[in-house]
Amino acid sequence: MVDTPHPNRSAEAGAPMPRTSRLTALLHRSEALRGYLLMAPTLLIMTLGIAIPFLILVAMSTWTRDGFGFDTTPTINNYLRVWTEPVFGALMTRSFWISGVATVATVILCYPMAYYVAFHVHRRKMLWIILMTLPFWTSYLLRVFAWKVILGYEGVINSGLMSLGFIEQPLEFLLYSQEAVIITLAHAWAAFAILPIYVSLEKIDRSLLEAATDLGDGPVRRFLRVTLPLSMPGVIAASFLIFIPTTGDYITPALLGGPDGAMIGNFIQLQFGPVNNWPMGATLAIVLMFWITAVALAFLFLTRALRERLT
Amino acid sequence: MDVLDQLGAVREGKLSRRRFIKELTAAGVAVTMVPAGARRAMAASEDQATFFTWGGYDIPELFQPYQAKNGELPNFSIFGGSEEALTKMRGGFVVDVSHPCNQALPRWVATGLFQPIETARLSNWADVMPEIVALPGNDAGSGNVWMAPFDWGQTSVTYRTDIFELEGEESWDMLWDQRYGGRLGSLSAGADAWWCGAIKAGVDFADIATEEAFEKIAAVMREQRPLIRVYTDDTTTLEQALASGELVAAMTWNSSASLLQAEGVPVKFAKPKEGALTWVCGAVIHKDAPNLDRAYDVIDSLLSVETGQFMINDYGYGHSNAKSFEAFDEATLQGLGLSKNPLEILQAGHFQVPQTQEWETRMNETFEQIKAGF
Repeated sequence: MVDTPHPNRSAEAGAPMPRTSRLTALLHRSEALRGYLLMAPTLLIMTLGIAIPFLILVAMSTWTRDGFGFDTTPTINNYLRVWTEPVFGALMTRSFWISGVATVATVILCYPMAYYVAFHVHRRKMLWIILMTLPFWTSYLLRVFAWKVILGYEGVINSGLMSLGFIEQPLEFLLYSQEAVIITLAHAWAAFAILPIYVSLEKIDRSLLEAATDLGDGPVRRFLRVTLPLSMPGVIAASFLIFIPTTGDYITPALLGGPDGAMIGNFIQLQFGPVNNWPMGATLAIVLMFWITAVALAFLFLTRALRERLT
Repeated sequence: MDVLDQLGAVREGKLSRRRFIKELTAAGVAVTMVPAGARRAMAASEDQATFFTWGGYDIPELFQPYQAKNGELPNFSIFGGSEEALTKMRGGFVVDVSHPCNQALPRWVATGLFQPIETARLSNWADVMPEIVALPGNDAGSGNVWMAPFDWGQTSVTYRTDIFELEGEESWDMLWDQRYGGRLGSLSAGADAWWCGAIKAGVDFADIATEEAFEKIAAVMREQRPLIRVYTDDTTTLEQALASGELVAAMTWNSSASLLQAEGVPVKFAKPKEGALTWVCGAVIHKDAPNLDRAYDVIDSLLSVETGQFMINDYGYGHSNAKSFEAFDEATLQGLGLSKNPLEILQAGHFQVPQTQEWETRMNETFEQIKAGF
């Protein structure tokens, strides 16, 4: 197209056009076609990378393990097992709980940081943003290990508190517990909260805040009635960005969770490893996906309703 | 499942020095990260054999003869549990040599992924102790074997002699001791833990596949679960926790106790009155091994006397080469809980017995549910 601009233009003008340029002319006329062409690379990757694996997963979830192989007769037994055996529901619930608390904690902790940079930093904002995302420059695994060192039995917190004389015995709940997983997730995903919240705060028109002040709102009411609702898109985006991946997180509970901190991601991994029940693993992955979608939709609906009431 | 079993193997694997690497390994992450890192670091060339093994066996000390002959170390790929390894190879991962244990051997062979080892090609074969070659399912016909035995040892309780107050004799009850609830650790693979549970429940390994035994073992594992602070495949985690006093007793292999003692930590590898769990592990060759000659070099290196002396002295494991023991006197070996006669040790404990795939799967499934709290 780049080197055939003239036929295009002439086609547009309704002038007679050479045969070779019919395609380009068609392209030019049909907006939909152009759109699809533009999206083609993405669509291709989505199909190859998401749709096909997803279909394989769906198909596999209806199979049955048969020794080292699979019995491919379709059945919904795996889904029935997920429904009836308490271990799956319990792990699923625990995953949502841990990830939900971690999400709320992350957003609450990161909002003030984003707020500060958006409203009170006037020079070198980019430097501040980079500094806040600094933990992200190391690998996820290293960050999890770092927390293992901090929370450990002889870790930074325990030895610090002991040398200050606050405690006699190391605090054992710090490591190998759900708390440890929540703390680590909240830190590890902080950048995913700071950036979207910062962007939405930055976009707020400052004159709206002045108007609110002129009309008599104090700082708190102004925040609740103007700033917060206008930054909700960022908060919602941050919540999704954190909640969805952390629900299925594997490595954090594996290293820090201990027996009571295991999440559904660990159980799915076991199905593909030692338990050797790939169809069950596929089923759990799909059920998890379903629940995440359901929770996400509910969250979206709730925040929308809330926003309407606020504004 | 399969395979996991090898607990034994697992046990051995742990090494101690590369703790960081091990931790990664245990995490399962290592499976991808360590080999990539290690390979690059060693400038591993394509034509060296690849040894797919437990963390802790990827050290130069075990491959001096190989290095002398081929100029470089073999490439390593690490697994955290042997069934994880088998699952990966069934999925198409091709290596030259891997490292299962006696309990998993028949199931590994049944997958058809391995080729018989021509013993005539191994220069150290004549010195290998015949008792541990004659394992169930190991005969590949015409004097060849599926697995060349390399290391043997025990799974038992390593405990802090200064913290754990022993009541009477050393026993598996130590890992069920309510007084130390929350300060006990366990290997997480059913291939170790379930069998230790069987010893604790008083189940004879000959009956381990019966329904009654299954229920009995599940019951003791459930009883133990609230007392356990951490289940892990990573021996370094257990060793560090024992060293700091976070754990007072843990289920481990020989090497954890040996390594901790070498660092001056007051620990002891218990000789439970009920008997320890015992196992033999060894090398197998993949059927499509791309570097077959070097695969034999890897195995020959593992079977060599130099390697054997390191295994005995530093890791506290038994070795399969009878000559490796000549450098040690009886008293030293006894102190390590070893003997020149492997059967003396293996039969004094409870030697693992191969089970069917169905049993292995069911056991793993049940044990994972128990660990999750059900």
